[in-house]
Parts: sequence; C-alpha cells; structure tokens
Amino acid sequence: MAQRNACLIAGGMSKWGVRSASLVDVSQEAAKACLDDIPGFSHKDIDGFLYATSFAGRCSFQTNPAPVMAERMGLRPTSICARVDVLCAGGSAGILLAKGLIESGMADIVMVAGGEKLYTPQKWEVFYSELASIDHDWDAPNGLGLPPPFFALVATEHMKQYGTTKEQLAKVSVVNYNFGADNPKAQFQKKLTMEEALEAPSVVTPLTLYDCCPITDGAAAVIVTYEEKAKELSDRPLVYIRGGSQVSLHSVSANWPGEHLADWAHLKVAAQKAYEKAKVGPDDIDVAETHDCFTISEVVEVEELGFCKKGEGGPFVEAGNTDIGGKVPINTDGGLLSCGHPFGATGLRQGIEMMKQLQGRATHQVEGAATALQHNLSGLNVEHTIVIYGREPVK
Amino acid sequence: MAVSGIPLLDDKYPVTMDMWPVEDEQFNRIYQFYDNLKEGKFTTTKCKSCGYVSWPPRVLCPECYAEELEWTELPKRGKVLTFSEEVRGVPLGFESPLIHAWIDLGQKSPIKKFLSRIINCPAGKLKEGDEVQFVVFDIPAHPKEVKRETVMSERVFFAFEPVEK
Repeated sequence: MAQRNACLIAGGMSKWGVRSASLVDVSQEAAKACLDDIPGFSHKDIDGFLYATSFAGRCSFQTNPAPVMAERMGLRPTSICARVDVLCAGGSAGILLAKGLIESGMADIVMVAGGEKLYTPQKWEVFYSELASIDHDWDAPNGLGLPPPFFALVATEHMKQYGTTKEQLAKVSVVNYNFGADNPKAQFQKKLTMEEALEAPSVVTPLTLYDCCPITDGAAAVIVTYEEKAKELSDRPLVYIRGGSQVSLHSVSANWPGEHLADWAHLKVAAQKAYEKAKVGPDDIDVAETHDCFTISEVVEVEELGFCKKGEGGPFVEAGNTDIGGKVPINTDGGLLSCGHPFGATGLRQGIEMMKQLQGRATHQVEGAATALQHNLSGLNVEHTIVIYGREPVK
Repeated sequence: MAVSGIPLLDDKYPVTMDMWPVEDEQFNRIYQFYDNLKEGKFTTTKCKSCGYVSWPPRVLCPECYAEELEWTELPKRGKVLTFSEEVRGVPLGFESPLIHAWIDLGQKSPIKKFLSRIINCPAGKLKEGDEVQFVVFDIPAHPKEVKRETVMSERVFFAFEPVEK
C-alpha cells in the first residue's frame, strides 16, 4: 500500500447550548449536519467510528456508548467502533486516532463524533460528577482541579509573575464572543463590550462571568479519510492532518510540571512535538483554535504555543493579535467561551473551524490561510492535545 | 416537596457515587496511608531501591519500577504561595469558602510544592505568605458487606489550615 495521507473532509454540529434533547438525540443531529456538509456521500460507506464523550457514564448513565451511537446514527462500522475519553480533548484525540487508523490502512473512512448531555433534571448532578473527572482518590475529596478555582489560581499567579491585567483577560472574551455572535450553532450569539466584560459579576476572584465558559449540551462529528478517497468524495480543497501530539506529565495535584501554576511546561512539550511532526513552526500558523475554557487559559496558551514570548500573552491579546488582521486570529467561530463546551465535542468543533478556514469558507475567514492549529487542554490541565492542519501534506 | 431516593436504592449508600476514596484495606493496597492519617501522620511512599519519594503514594516506584516501597513522612507545615477563594456557588460536598492554595513545603521536603484545600479559615482572611499546617478530619463512613452483615467503614481525609498566630 502506498503512503496514505489523512484528510479532514467534512464536519457538522448540533445546536449547542441548553438543549431539550438527550445525548443520543444531539449526536444524531451532529451526524446529520456532518453528512449534509458532504453532498452525495452516504453514511453507509463509513467503516470506522470513534465516539468521544466523558460524562456519558455519569450524566446519561451510559457506559460503552459507541455501539449505541453507531446504531442510532445508522452506521455499520467494520474497522473500529470505540469510545474515546480524555475529557475536554476527546474530539481532538479522536482526530489523531483517526489519522493513525487511516494512514495505517486499518480503516478507510472514519467518522469521529462526540457529545455531552450535561443539563440533567437537577443541576447539582453535573457539578458533583466533575469530582469523578479529577484524580478521584486524591483531589476529589478537596475539590482540587475544579475548573473555576483552579483557573483562578492560574490567573492570580500569571498576574503576579507577569503583570497580566483584568483588562487583558476581558479582551480575550470580547474577541471570542464577537466571533461567536455570528455562529448560529454557538451557545451564545452575543456581542460583548469591554465595559460589559469588566463589570460582570465575580465567579472566583479574579475571574468574572465572561472569563468562564458555560456548561453545554451538544455534539459534533467529522469525517476523516485518505487523500485519494477525499478527492473522490469532495471538490473542496484538501485539508491534511499534518501532525499532532498529546502530552500528559502529571495528574492535577500530583507532580505539577512547571515552576509555578502559570508555567505550563507540558503544553510547551506538546507544542514542540506537534510542530516537529507537522514540520512547521509557530510563525507558520495562520489561524488557530486554542482551549479558552477560561480567558486566562488562552493567555497562557498563546505563550506556550510560541505565538508570543512567555509572559507576554496579556499584551499579545490586548494588541488585537488574536482578532482578524492580527498575527494569529484565534477562535474565529467563538471558541469555548461563546460556543460552549460539551467536552467530547469541543475538539471536533475546533477541527471543523480549522477545516473551513483552510477551505476558504469560514464565517470569519482569514485570507489565504494555509496552516492551522487546534489545541485542547483537558482533564483540569493534566493533558494538552494539538492537531496541525495544512493545505499540503507533510513531505 | 420531600424527595425520596431511587426506590430500588432505599437505605443503600452508593459508594460508586462517592466523592471520597474507599480507604478500607480490603479494597486498596495503600490503606496504610489512611491508617497513618488516623494517627495524624502525613505520609507517602519512598522507593527502597532508588530512594525516590512519590506523591501520591502508590505500589510501584514511578522512577525505577521497583515494588519495594516504604512509608516516609512529609512536612506538616508550609507557606501559601498563591490561593483562590470560591465564596458563592460552591459545589455540593464543600462549604463556603472553598479555598485552594499552592503551598511551599520547603526545600528540605521531597515534595516541594503542593496543591491543597485550606479549611477552618473564613473568607477574606488568608494572605500570601501565611503559614498553614496539615489537618485531618472525619469524612462519612460507608457501608460494606461482610458475609451477611453490613458494617460501617470509618474514614478520614486531610487538608491544611491556617496556623493560629
């Protein structure tokens, strides 16, 4: 078999937000939107299926969801049918796994889908279930790693170490919300001003309302296949999955890898590895999706991904570098802050936006985008996942 | 409105929904940690072969893969480097304020920096640089089946608290 190059050829999402729908419902909606993105292609030709979810076992009392979802979507996978769970990076891990499955010849056409149903009849259940997603025996009893308190620690540390300001954090939310305002699938279609962002109620000091992504129901799905099949199925420009990485160096409170909590050494390692695999560098990235679960996350991420120097994430964002016309437009579909964050689906939403950017059909198009990067932080900052796409394969 | 539980689970304690560890020696191999906690000791495992001290305790040395480990004590005092305080919207299982701190256990400690919860501290009181100390507290016991009987398995856990000045 000749060397195969994996391409992302289509993708779609359910409406994200507070949904009057179950996990299997939103997953079917995503499958439909994904297939609608590639006219003439039949779901019956899909031979591999990966389903990314984290809270299915807790919030839907459904372990082993992959065969359930495949059946409900009318799929008959014969190469692989499995669940992927790395919390917030399940979708991007699925894309990396699909690349491996396609390029090894193990599968020919893979659907990677993912979703969460987090709004249950009682809200406390989703928050309580978060205690199952950190290092259970050591961190759950003290709530260590729960999202707002942990990222408030990161923000406090970043402000102390580098002089990052509340205005710089607010700028992240303003840019991302204003992109998301034009995304009909996003949880919020709200334009946000600096004044609104700065006057929002406190969540955990120094984080306020618009610094934090919401709880979200929703699903997304993409199709990954090899270059020759992609040309057969679609007339759109090809989007190659050039490379990626997934790095885990510690677990919540155990063995933090940086000098302090705003030093994400594990993300730096992930970035180096991903750039090496994709044979590009940070200056080659035309457009990106970073994991803005909190505004401070995006500030640290632009540093560790090499878009600016360590400690300069605040000024980088403040100067408009993540907006259209900036050095690296980021989260052009709204990011987690505006789209919301159904954990297993987020990496797929990001992949869809990167694909659209490279195909020239994004709502907030970066002119001539040729290389794109998506990044997820997952499991309360215990893992970083990167996927790099290009209009050309790695040679 | 009174809320009754899932009828099938009436009078049952679902340990699989529990936010605390199962500490009973019948269900883990590091129960000595919890026995030490009950004596007020803050311990972890040290490799007898290479000397590496790991946190949290485990049954395999992550450095040299030796399985012969021994218990060693960790410092019970530290200094707050950075902290966050959740006052409103504290999740089920915790009381307000939910305080998390990045603590310096000192250069002599095998584990230099430590993330922990700070308890017994009102909102607005903690400051960077404050000294904190290890504290053990009771957590709910869970039932376990012993032949045809159900007995309660007592449990404790730990956090840090401000040192009274």
